[in-house]
Amino acid sequence: MAKEDKNRFLVQYGEAVGTIAAQSLGEPGTQMILRTFHYAGVESTMSTSGLPRIVELVDAKKKPTTPITYIYLDKDIAKSFEKADEMIRKISEVTMSSVVRRVDENFAKGKIRLILSSQEIEAARITPKSVASKISKDFGFETKVDGRIIEIKIGTRDPKKVRSERVRIMNSVISGIDGAGKVTLRQDDKTKEFYLVAAGSDIESLIDIQGVDSTRIITNDVFAIYRLFGVEAARNSIVSELAKTLDEQRIGVSRRHLSLIADAMTARGNIKGVGRHGLSGEKGSVLARAAYEETIKHLVHAAVYGEIDHMNGVTENVLIGKQVPVGTGTVKLAIRKEDLSRTAKKK
Amino acid sequence: MAKNEITHVYLNGRDIGTVEDPVKFVNEIRGARRAGVISGEINVALYAKQHFININSDRGRVRKPYVIIENSKSKLTPDLIEKLNSKEINFNYLFRNGIVEYLDAEEEENALVAFKEKDITEKHTHLEVDIASIFGFTVATSPYAEHNSIARHAMLANFIKQAQGLYAINFNQRFDSRAYLLFYPQVPIVNTVPYRKTNIQKHPSGQNLVVALSTYYGYNMQDAVVLNRAAVERGVGRSLFYKTYSDEERRYPGGQRDRLKVPPPTAEGYMGEHFYSKLSDDGIIEPEMDVEEGDVLIGKVSPPRFLEESMGPSGIEEKVRDDSTVLKTGETGIVDSVMITESPGATKLVKIRVRGLRIPENGDKFASRHGQKGVTSLIVPPEDMPFTESGVIPDLLLNPHSVPSRMTFGHLLEELAGKAGAVSGRTIDGTAFAEDGVDRMSEYGRMLEEKGFDKYGEEEMYDGITGMKFKAKVFTGVVYYNRLYHMVSNKMQVRSRGKVQILTHQPTEGKARQGALRFGEMERDTLIGYGASLLLKERLLDQSDKTTVLVCKQCGNIGYYDHIKRANICPIDKGSDFVEVEMSYAFKVLLDEIKSLHIMPRMKITE
Repeated sequence: MAKEDKNRFLVQYGEAVGTIAAQSLGEPGTQMILRTFHYAGVESTMSTSGLPRIVELVDAKKKPTTPITYIYLDKDIAKSFEKADEMIRKISEVTMSSVVRRVDENFAKGKIRLILSSQEIEAARITPKSVASKISKDFGFETKVDGRIIEIKIGTRDPKKVRSERVRIMNSVISGIDGAGKVTLRQDDKTKEFYLVAAGSDIESLIDIQGVDSTRIITNDVFAIYRLFGVEAARNSIVSELAKTLDEQRIGVSRRHLSLIADAMTARGNIKGVGRHGLSGEKGSVLARAAYEETIKHLVHAAVYGEIDHMNGVTENVLIGKQVPVGTGTVKLAIRKEDLSRTAKKK
Repeated sequence: MAKNEITHVYLNGRDIGTVEDPVKFVNEIRGARRAGVISGEINVALYAKQHFININSDRGRVRKPYVIIENSKSKLTPDLIEKLNSKEINFNYLFRNGIVEYLDAEEEENALVAFKEKDITEKHTHLEVDIASIFGFTVATSPYAEHNSIARHAMLANFIKQAQGLYAINFNQRFDSRAYLLFYPQVPIVNTVPYRKTNIQKHPSGQNLVVALSTYYGYNMQDAVVLNRAAVERGVGRSLFYKTYSDEERRYPGGQRDRLKVPPPTAEGYMGEHFYSKLSDDGIIEPEMDVEEGDVLIGKVSPPRFLEESMGPSGIEEKVRDDSTVLKTGETGIVDSVMITESPGATKLVKIRVRGLRIPENGDKFASRHGQKGVTSLIVPPEDMPFTESGVIPDLLLNPHSVPSRMTFGHLLEELAGKAGAVSGRTIDGTAFAEDGVDRMSEYGRMLEEKGFDKYGEEEMYDGITGMKFKAKVFTGVVYYNRLYHMVSNKMQVRSRGKVQILTHQPTEGKARQGALRFGEMERDTLIGYGASLLLKERLLDQSDKTTVLVCKQCGNIGYYDHIKRANICPIDKGSDFVEVEMSYAFKVLLDEIKSLHIMPRMKITE
């Protein structure tokens, strides 16, 4: 009984699984354009969702439009608000420009004066003193702190040099991990555990930080996962990211279709998109490639290198008008001569 | 941001300078405009938060008039209104004297407009000339627009443009390429002020129909409507369809020209004697002649396409080609009018207007003025229609389910008002926002009760087929319906086999070419997904552009059968070992085109 059931759910030989997977993801996509959900909330937690996110994943974009990393913490830190909050200061990426309210350049004296925003430095959990010492450490300039004002001695009166140093200082990261983005603290509703959400995806450096639970760090950046953990992990990430995006919109697509798409994208050991530069552009058949995009490019290549089309795919057989090798087209009727004569004898 | 931020001023998008006090600056411009010092076509918009001012004086801006409010008082005083009414002054006087001004979309953002005079507070800057003016023309002509949802307004604005009616009084003199003319257009019982004030009243485009909100044995499911046959025979929706065919005698380089005449049987493409039988001696059809598809309307012969053919075999007779104008497939009618004149190029120009009767039939489209459209699904004999106690048989049955979800309460209100107007013999005003404290609905109820009808417009009804009384009362009234120009007789088309394109040997596309429906890429994918490989092959090959070619076994090139040698020939290696291969003609064309680029595609055939 159980065996019967199991066989019933198996995919039959010759089933056009790829076409069905494509249709199963493509059809809901047409509905998604019409209704895009917007959630009210903090800007940094707003991630790309809906059709744009699906397109991004399926096209294998190198960097997601809105990278997000969920960082879970070691048990003792995760329970305490203070310790978790301390982690933010350690990780959250703060650039100089985000805490500076006003910059004055004094070309005559070769000095730059920064006025910090008290609100911003409090939010970033830093002090003017720490900022000043960071500057002198990173750039080797002499600094003087007076309240919220930091005076930097560049040591030259060349306006060009002063201006370029100003740009460098303003773009520098004064606190946290470069590439981690802005980090916010969250609490899990069920386990009451504190965790961090970063608007960056530099998991390579995040994973080594003291206090971060290296077994529980989740990002939506498929390529970051591929670089750190390999192609199998990236495949799983594609499936789960697709599923998550579809679930957000309450669109039910079977995980089997998604995993087939992810399999096809990662089958060669790296991540390939489905478009012209990926799966479709690497088909074996000249005619199938020419029927898709860049017809002339593929025909010229075939002519120059003498390519042979073995007519094994679907598109090329539709093109010439042969029975396609899917479904009922996968089986052929074969009769041996001996069998024919045997039935004749019986009569 | 600092308070003393500098404000940039842009004139028609060009940065022309800065001001320090933007509010004062803008008010100065507006004051000058109202005083007539600068042109009234100038608009100025202040973007206070973004710190810039846009002054626009260029063309193409949509502008709307507003009454100016000064010191919380409308500048359009009762005194001025009286002068307007006595025609002492006109609208332009108000505009010139700074009582009314035009705002464009940008300046409107700076204004606070009061709907009515009594709404004015000290914050208001302008007063709406009339509240109904927030609508466009089409919506303004629809009654009770304030009771309908905005989505329906968008639809009705389109439907009104598609309505058949009396589009022009001189329709008989006009040769429009397509025209629709309603037989008995009526002015709506329920109309609006903009409707009455414009010429549209002289060109009505619909009829007042008795409508019952009732189902009819499932025939008016979804948006279908059921029509009363007696009403159709009395002229509901009956219309004429005019179509103009034209042709001219063109001149060609080399002194050749077309000739309008009955083509001689020797002409190339001669269709057969009886197709030309309706033409008179000059090769042009006569008025009031019955015509059907395939009939020639204008006989014309043209010189051959290529010069060397112009001489006949004997060298004496000029060889010509039949280039007559034929009535399109699926059309019938009567020749309404024939016009012979001269074109701007000084050639003989003939225009023939064919008229056809369009009696409403199943599949024709109707719509009320509330975005409620429907397609006729059944035309019922009057004896089978439901009837009221007083014996009234509705003209049209609308499914009651079409109202709640679309939120077109205006439709119901019009139905009630129309009924009240019909029984008391007068038209009723349904201008949007005209209510102003008056309960219009109970007013209509009172009018109905006066004549002995139910005040809610409901009627006891009986089923025309069984004679049984309906359990529920049916809401019945009079609604103005438009017949839209989408009619089946102009759209219907069938094909099982037919013409194919020359290049690809695939079926033609489109109604005008007797075309087939496209079995496209997505349809192809559904068959692949289902695994129906033989059905797919049948659709895409056997029923499309199947062809058999000879493929040379040695070189893989396409060969041919030589009728003189009575043998298969391969043009490349002159071999004779061939396989017959079925393939799509489009693929053969592809191979031919690749060959034309000096690239040799070869086919390897295995058994």
